[in-house]
Amino acid sequence: MSSGPDSNIRILIVDDHPVVRAGLASMLATQPGIEVADSVSSGEEALDVLQRQSLDIVLLDLRMPGMNGIDTLVAIKRTAIPVHVIVLTSYETDEDIYRAVNSGAKGYLLKNSSQRQVVEAIRAVRAGNRYIPRHIASRLAERMTRSNLTARELEVLKLLTKGLTNKQIASALGISDNTARNHINSIIEKLEVSDRTEASTTAIQRGIIDVDE
Amino acid sequence: MGVGNATLKLLPKQRRLRFLFVLIVVVLTALMLAWMLGYLHSPSHGLPYHDSFASGHASEWRALGGTWAVVDGVMRNDSDERGAKLITGSTYWRNYSIEADVMLLGQDGDAGLIIRSSDEEEGVDSYMGYYAGLRNRDNSLVLGHADHGWMETLNYPDPGQGRIQTYQWYHLELLAYEGKIAASATSPSQGTLTSSAITEKDCVTSGRVGLRSYASGGAWKNVAVRPATQEDLKAMLATIPSHGGPAVSSSPAVSRETPGVAPTAAPGKRQLSRSATNTQPIDSLRLSSFSNPTTATVQGVVILTNPALFVQDSTGGVSVPHPNAPPLKIGDEVEVTGEVHPGNFSSTLEHATVRVLWARNPLPAVSVSASQAATGAFDENFIELEGTLRTKSYGPDNTLQFDFESGSQVFRAITNRGRGDALFDNLKVNSLVRLRGICVVDPAYTRNLTPFVLLLRSSDDLKILAGPPWWNTGNLVVTLIGLLALASASIFLHSRVENWRLRAVMDERARLAHEMHDTLAQSFAGIGFQLEAVRNGIPTDMPGTHHQLDLASDLVHHSHEEARRSIAILRPEPLQSGNLLAALESCAHKMVEGGAVQVVATCNGDMRTMPLRTTDTLYRIGQEAIANAVRHARPTAITISLEYERNLVHMVVADDGTGFAESGNLRGFGLRGMRKRAATIPADLQIVTNPSHGTRVQITATLPPPITIFTWPRFLWKYLKELTHVQRAG
Repeated sequence: MSSGPDSNIRILIVDDHPVVRAGLASMLATQPGIEVADSVSSGEEALDVLQRQSLDIVLLDLRMPGMNGIDTLVAIKRTAIPVHVIVLTSYETDEDIYRAVNSGAKGYLLKNSSQRQVVEAIRAVRAGNRYIPRHIASRLAERMTRSNLTARELEVLKLLTKGLTNKQIASALGISDNTARNHINSIIEKLEVSDRTEASTTAIQRGIIDVDE
Repeated sequence: MGVGNATLKLLPKQRRLRFLFVLIVVVLTALMLAWMLGYLHSPSHGLPYHDSFASGHASEWRALGGTWAVVDGVMRNDSDERGAKLITGSTYWRNYSIEADVMLLGQDGDAGLIIRSSDEEEGVDSYMGYYAGLRNRDNSLVLGHADHGWMETLNYPDPGQGRIQTYQWYHLELLAYEGKIAASATSPSQGTLTSSAITEKDCVTSGRVGLRSYASGGAWKNVAVRPATQEDLKAMLATIPSHGGPAVSSSPAVSRETPGVAPTAAPGKRQLSRSATNTQPIDSLRLSSFSNPTTATVQGVVILTNPALFVQDSTGGVSVPHPNAPPLKIGDEVEVTGEVHPGNFSSTLEHATVRVLWARNPLPAVSVSASQAATGAFDENFIELEGTLRTKSYGPDNTLQFDFESGSQVFRAITNRGRGDALFDNLKVNSLVRLRGICVVDPAYTRNLTPFVLLLRSSDDLKILAGPPWWNTGNLVVTLIGLLALASASIFLHSRVENWRLRAVMDERARLAHEMHDTLAQSFAGIGFQLEAVRNGIPTDMPGTHHQLDLASDLVHHSHEEARRSIAILRPEPLQSGNLLAALESCAHKMVEGGAVQVVATCNGDMRTMPLRTTDTLYRIGQEAIANAVRHARPTAITISLEYERNLVHMVVADDGTGFAESGNLRGFGLRGMRKRAATIPADLQIVTNPSHGTRVQITATLPPPITIFTWPRFLWKYLKELTHVQRAG
């Protein structure tokens, strides 16, 4: 951390939506002890800013064009820049929360949170604690108990949600039909669903797969 | 998602390929059809033609009158019928020749070949075309034009070349090239006998070929049809002698003969047989004594020659076994003298001598019913009747046997195999058939199995009036299976189309949710934060402004919530028809998360698979109802219940909250949405609200009866049980 506990908490806002950036910046600027150092619209820019400035907290949106929130989180971890990340998003699917926390987010806030919650979170995380609201924490706990999909299974699942058949998936990934079928069986087992259709709807619902990509 | 994009990019190309493929198939099919049409209508389709009488086949020939049959590799017509024809070929044949070996079987008639024939009917000159034949009455080669009338050229053979003999083969050739028709006849012993030709301006240009005889019967073999050129015509015209008879005549023809008039015998050439004066009616033979055989003479017309000779006059018929007779033809007027053996119904003339008097047209058949024939009154008579075919089989001595049923009577028809093979194959059991033949009650034929047997003159005496009715067991089963397959296929297709449609709707919803998330929800969030910022900047001693800002914040917060819920509703849900209740329950749990609201879900009745559309609509309405309850009613419990009936499903979402008293508040929009959704399936939607008892949203949707191949018997059984139950109760 670049500054002591008495100095201002320096914050970077990362959100692709200008209204959110402006609102957040205005709101936090009025808070004593909090200083919005910069606000950027993408993960790439955020990494750039982090390289140049020393900051305390990053308020990070999850869904952005280009590098998304999780990717940005992982990249920040990799560069070993000493900064805490609070995810501030409108998504609350199990998978979003799970992946964010798993990638090193210290806090998880929804965008409809009040000013009090946001400030509380910033201060708590600055003090070295986690800040995850109760209902999000319970979701997280539920998700933790489920087994993880492998990278290959995620790939297969992505194609599955696009409505491809086993054969098409196999040819798209350059694997055999049998292998594709095995992957799908394992996905069905891990997601605790009854068939491939349910697997794909569940994957979309839980946010394991982004339909928009 | 490179793969997905690649697939998408391939699509237009694939579409173009498919279009090209379809185009090629259509063009090829059209070409094939055109080629086939051209091929069938081509003037040379089927040429050259050679008969296969030697191997006993003649199924391509069509008879019009006569008793045509292949006997020993020769096509014979053993009938004196005038203008009996046998036709084959294509009406598109134009320039060609037909040749054959022809033999006359009787005096006072002619036999020959037809060319360019069309519009054929039974009757002397009932066809459009040209005929060339050998006539022994006036020793001529006849060539003429038939158009349901007759114009002919007569051509006498050169003197000294002898008469045209019966039972002798002649080679006859008939050629048609453009407007010229030429014919030539060759005697095997004497070389070229004679030729003839006609030229016509308005000629018949194309048609089939045929064999024809007039009053004499005839035999034909080695029939050959081949395309003809101008050279062929010239070669043939060259054989026509420049002197003597009328060589080349042009239309109108030399003489016109009235059709149908019995030919008067050529004077002086033949002595006309006079009938004996002591002939008696055939019917009176039965009055003869049983004990002392007497000899009698009768005069009648031959009605059958094979397997036995039958002669009939106006009073009845008689059978003449093993007669001492010249070759006879059906239609010959004969005088029979023999030993009378009277029978129960008719008589027999044994050891008879037969003398041919003259040729006349065969007798017409008497139309009777099977019951009349069974009485024996028409024994040894030529009759006509109708019957339904029951069985068919090959009989002994190269015969075909058919068993018929008519009313309560059964009878058997026997014919020589002749050219009946094709008929035998085509004749289906249970067909309605009209038969003509000689009715025989003699046990030698009936074997006491049927009251009478019909001896057919040829297979042409058997006419199919109507094929077997289509509703036999096999066809019914096939039809039923076909219908069931069609029904299940249409059900399957319908559900597939429904699912595609629903999938498209779901995709669009997901897109909308995404869009709303990116714009509305983000903006609300940003504005919310901005309002907080404004509030922070306003001094605390301005309570009015603070209050207004609080209100604005609340409004934005509320709007954000609304947007979030709308997005959540639009997002795809895991919806299997079976777990509608589970889906609603989990949705309710999600919405009340963090609160103290109790969610109760119940299900009554047999849970049924519903159409995906119904399930989806019910889910959306339920979701909206739950959201309304959570948002506005501040309930302590939400009850979700599903009830399945035979063809109905009830869904109730009830809360114990505050209810709402008047319309026009914020909920109006949600309610209207629910009503709209309900109207699409269609379902009945009722909303009961009371400030003290909460709100109750009740939907009743009709379910289609679950008809599949496997469930419909059970469904029917259930339905019948319910029906009887209701009746008993009533």
